[in-house]
Amino acid sequence: MTAITLPRGLRDNRAAWAFGVLLVTWIGAILFAKGFDSVSSVRYLVQTAAFLGIVGVGQTLVVMMSGIDLSVSGVVALSAVVCAQVASGSGGTTGVVVALVASVLVGIANAAGVTWLRVPPMVMTLATGTIVAGALLVYTNGSPKSAKVPLLASLANDRVVGIPLAFLLWLGITAVAVWLLHASRIGRYVFALGNGERASRASGVPLARTAFVAYGACSLLAGVAGLVLLGFTSTSSLTMGNPYQLLSIASVVLGGTSILGGRGHVLGTVAGALMLTLLTALLASWNISEGVRQIVLGLLIIGLLLAYARERRS
Amino acid sequence: MSERLTGALRGNLDVAGLGALLVVLLAAYSHYDSELFTPASITILSAQFLPLILAAMGQSTVMLAGGIDLSLGSVLALAMAVFAVRAEDGVVVAGALALAAAASTGAANGVLVAYAGLPPIIVTLAASFLWGGVTLVVLPQPGGHVPSGLVDAYNNGWNGLALPVLVIVAVLVLWKAVRTTRFGLSLYAVGGNEHGAYASGIGTRKVKIAAYALAGVFVGLAGIGLAIQTGSGDATIGAPYTLNSIAASVLAGVSFFGGVGQMRATVLAALLIGLLTNLLLFTGLSPFYQLILQGAVLIVAIAVKTFATRERTD
Repeated sequence: MTAITLPRGLRDNRAAWAFGVLLVTWIGAILFAKGFDSVSSVRYLVQTAAFLGIVGVGQTLVVMMSGIDLSVSGVVALSAVVCAQVASGSGGTTGVVVALVASVLVGIANAAGVTWLRVPPMVMTLATGTIVAGALLVYTNGSPKSAKVPLLASLANDRVVGIPLAFLLWLGITAVAVWLLHASRIGRYVFALGNGERASRASGVPLARTAFVAYGACSLLAGVAGLVLLGFTSTSSLTMGNPYQLLSIASVVLGGTSILGGRGHVLGTVAGALMLTLLTALLASWNISEGVRQIVLGLLIIGLLLAYARERRS
Repeated sequence: MSERLTGALRGNLDVAGLGALLVVLLAAYSHYDSELFTPASITILSAQFLPLILAAMGQSTVMLAGGIDLSLGSVLALAMAVFAVRAEDGVVVAGALALAAAASTGAANGVLVAYAGLPPIIVTLAASFLWGGVTLVVLPQPGGHVPSGLVDAYNNGWNGLALPVLVIVAVLVLWKAVRTTRFGLSLYAVGGNEHGAYASGIGTRKVKIAAYALAGVFVGLAGIGLAIQTGSGDATIGAPYTLNSIAASVLAGVSFFGGVGQMRATVLAALLIGLLTNLLLFTGLSPFYQLILQGAVLIVAIAVKTFATRERTD
């Protein structure tokens, strides 16, 4: 195997591996599929990858402290639906603010459940996600509005020197997350909790504060993604967040972050999100039914997880 | 004598508590529906509650072995779709096909969990995508047709017998029989202490695969029941069962970490959730509140459980 000849640092760096696999997949797509070799296709790809990528960056923060957030799908829909609803009455800016506040509240509820009620993260976030979905049904009476918010539309569709603004937003968010996770004190707490909750709590790591930051940031970013999506499509729907539940977790894990927490890098998630978006675009370019597409994507995700995200426990 | 009585009571604390809650709920229910205890009403209600009861039994089986199944809803919808599509060519063949499909998807989940070294959450989440796709291929649009004679006999009684009740009793008897086998014992052992079970000569991987497959059988029966109750199939109907089956299992005292729990408590808890949902409708609230209720029940149940067990162990 070539891996043996590589320097040790590179071999153990799963995030770098993720970029390698992404590169190979992309070259394969350019060589063997139509419509992946133009600048505009790259532009469209990074723009659409930004929606998933923003959610994925937030998910990384939570997974790194060995949590998981299954409520992101609900929060993406929450922020888009609430923003559309509020914006049609009292203006775009108010809509954006209210939507983001609502999103963060979900994250705070998640963190409170996980730390104070001691509910396992998976159950807590599954429950809050369901409550959010129910609350949206009640709030919209089953029929959410569509809304053109100029601010969001330009955020999602405009370009700066040819680069989509949504992609730049994603990169900016990633940069902040890199600092938060890999350079700040909170980040060190996140890694410590991911490597062993009991030991780190015994040595003074504040679980509650770390959890509130991580889950709060994750929900906030899911909310941001919902807003960008609203700007992109100008419509909101109750199910628009659904794909992001599995895909955000998959992009984290494909990016080389351990699903058990404590190991990995935010940048890997960027590669994971780009790869999943590329695969989805490849599947969409084939003329196959929705069911078959879902089967292929499911198999691909399972295959990729098996290939390089396995945990060697016991 | 009194010592033995308190001992028996403590061993069945969950069952006793749930039984008491159930009595209260039934009293409240009969206030709204004075014909609750007539055979016709019992038949209809048991047909309505059967899918959740059996789905919860499936989830409990997996949780007893220390796992979790987030693909349960998709597998339920798959069994329902297979049965509804094939029911007109012969109900027995259709039922066998649906059960075989559900059991083999369960076994496939089990193989992935046992051999892949990936946590059950992520495996079954990815698998839910896959099985959802298969279901869409089997039944792209809601449809299929179950012979009306069977639908009528199932929902309105067959020679005065409530068929759904008989099915639930039969499945419970089956579970009792499984419990007494070597596999039944190993199931609790693997969930309680995987290393210990392995060290004492139990094939932990085989046990896990068998647990997921058995859960598949239960979930398959739930899907068939749902198809007969509604008279047709729908590929998207499964999702709520994932959350509710987990809620019922948690409410019943099945531990998230495996090895602890009783199936009769799961049946009571599933009944409780079903009755609660119906009661909500009687109060005149919009059915949109159902999701909020289900999420809240899950959080409250697990928080109470966690605090109760912490007091006992600390």
